[in-house]
Amino acid sequence: MKLAYYPGCSLKGTSFEYEVSLLKVLEVLNIEIKEIPDWNCCGASAAHSINHNLSVALPARNLAIAENNGFENVLAPCAACSSRLKTANYELGSDDVLRKKITDSLDMPYNASLGVSNMLEFLLNAVGKENIKSHIKRPLNGIKVASYYGCLLVRPPKIMKFDDPENPVSMDELVSLTGATAVDYPYKTDCCGAINSLSKPDVVMALTGKVLYNIKEHGADLVVVACPLCHSNLDVRQREIERKYSERIGLPVIFITELLGLSFGLSPEELAIDGHMVNADKILQKILAASR
Amino acid sequence: MKTIINEQDRRNFVSQVETMLHDKLAKCYQCGKCSAGCPVNFEMDYTPNQIIKMTELGMQDPVLNSKTIWLCVSCNTCSTRCPKGFEVAGIMDVLREIATRKGIESKTEKEIQVFHKVFLDNVKSNGRIFELELVGKYRLKTKRLFRDMFLAPKMIEKGKLRMSGDKVSAINSIAKIFRDFE
Ligand code: SF4
Ligand code: SF4
Repeated sequence: MKLAYYPGCSLKGTSFEYEVSLLKVLEVLNIEIKEIPDWNCCGASAAHSINHNLSVALPARNLAIAENNGFENVLAPCAACSSRLKTANYELGSDDVLRKKITDSLDMPYNASLGVSNMLEFLLNAVGKENIKSHIKRPLNGIKVASYYGCLLVRPPKIMKFDDPENPVSMDELVSLTGATAVDYPYKTDCCGAINSLSKPDVVMALTGKVLYNIKEHGADLVVVACPLCHSNLDVRQREIERKYSERIGLPVIFITELLGLSFGLSPEELAIDGHMVNADKILQKILAASR
Repeated sequence: MKTIINEQDRRNFVSQVETMLHDKLAKCYQCGKCSAGCPVNFEMDYTPNQIIKMTELGMQDPVLNSKTIWLCVSCNTCSTRCPKGFEVAGIMDVLREIATRKGIESKTEKEIQVFHKVFLDNVKSNGRIFELELVGKYRLKTKRLFRDMFLAPKMIEKGKLRMSGDKVSAINSIAKIFRDFE
C-alpha cells in the first residue's frame, strides 16, 4: 500500500500532539506513510466560504502532486482537511469542465483517481480492527470515554461516505477496542462552532459548552476527537467556558491516536498528551496504575 | 428594505445563485427542518429557510446584507437533513461569495469577513498557515488586540504557538492559483 500523508497546517502548529501521536501509533503498527512533497494549505473554511474555485484549486494541487508521485491513497488526519480534500476530489471527479479549468491553472494533470481517508476511516478500513487489537498491551478497562465527532467527519454524507451522519459509531468502536467503555450521549455530532472560534468566541463558547456539559452529565472521564478544530475549541477554550458559565468541567480532551497509543503501551510523553491545555494527570495515573 | 422587485432583476439573481449552486431553489418546500437543526439559528436575523425563500423572491439586498450568511459555520446539518436534498449549506457559500465579490461589508459580522480574508492572504503569501501571523494580523485589522491574550502564555509553554512558519517552496505555483482564481 502506497500511502501519502497530508498533515495540513494545524498538525504542524497548534495541534502538533495529533501528529506526534499519529506517527508513534503508525510506527507500532509498522505502517509507512510519506508526506506529500511541498504540500500547501487546503484553504480550510475560508476558501469555500468566499471563493469556490480556490476551495477546489488549493486541495487539488496536493491531490495532483500525490497522484503524479504514484500514490493511490491519502491519509488526512485533520477532519477539516479531509473534508476539503474529499469535497475537491468529488467535484473534480464529477465535473470535467471544472477539472480542466483547475488542472490548466495548476499545469499538472489530475485524474481524480486518489482515495482520501480521514483518520477513523483509515484506522478501521485500512489498518483493521484485528490488527489494532493485536497491538493492545495496556487495556484501558474501566475508563469511560466519550467520542466527539463534530461535523466534518460525517457530513455531508453524499461526499464523506463514511459512517452514519446522525449517529456515527466508528470512533466508539475504536474506543471499545482499547478496552475502554464508550459513553453514549446525544450531542456527538453537534457543531462546536469551529471556524468562528476567533471571530465569534461567544457563539463558539455557547456551542462548545453545550457539548462539554452534556458529556460531563453522561459520566465520561475523557473525550476523544479526530479533529484539530474540535480539539482546540473543546480543550483550549475549556477554562474560559468554565469561567463563563461558572461551572467546572475538567474534562481532558485527547486525540483518538493518543488513546490508541496509550492502549499500545506508549507513555503519555511519547504521545505528547502533556501538550494539551486541560490537565489529564488524574486519568493518566489511573490508566498507568491499572497496568502496573 | 425594497418591497417592489423588478422581475428581471429577480430572475437574474435567481439564475446567478442557481448556476453557482448547481441546484434549484424551487426544490425547497419550506418545511423548516434545516433551520430547526441549525446550531447558530439563535444568532441569525433570518433562518436558513427564510434565506432560501427570500433569494427565490429576488430580495437581493437583505439577503446579501444578512447576518445569517456570515454566521453560518458550514456544519452541513441542514443539507444532511433536508428531505428534498437541497444544498442549504451550499447556498450560504454562494451568497457569501456574491456578497464578497460585490464588496459588501457586513455591518454586524465584519470580524468573520476579515478572518476569512486574512486567512486567505496568509495562504497566498506562505502557501501554509502560520498561526501566529494569522492571529496577529486578524487582531490588528479588527482592533481586537487583547482578546484571548490570556491564552497565549500557556499555549507558548505547551509548544502550541510556533514562532516561525513553514513555507511552500514552489510559492509561485500558489501565487498562480490566486492569480487565476482570486
Ligand atoms: S429542509 Fe430543505 S425543504 Fe425544508 S425548508 Fe430547509 S431547504 Fe427547504
Ligand atoms: S451549514 Fe450553516 S445554515 Fe446549515 S445548519 Fe450549519 S450553520 Fe446552519
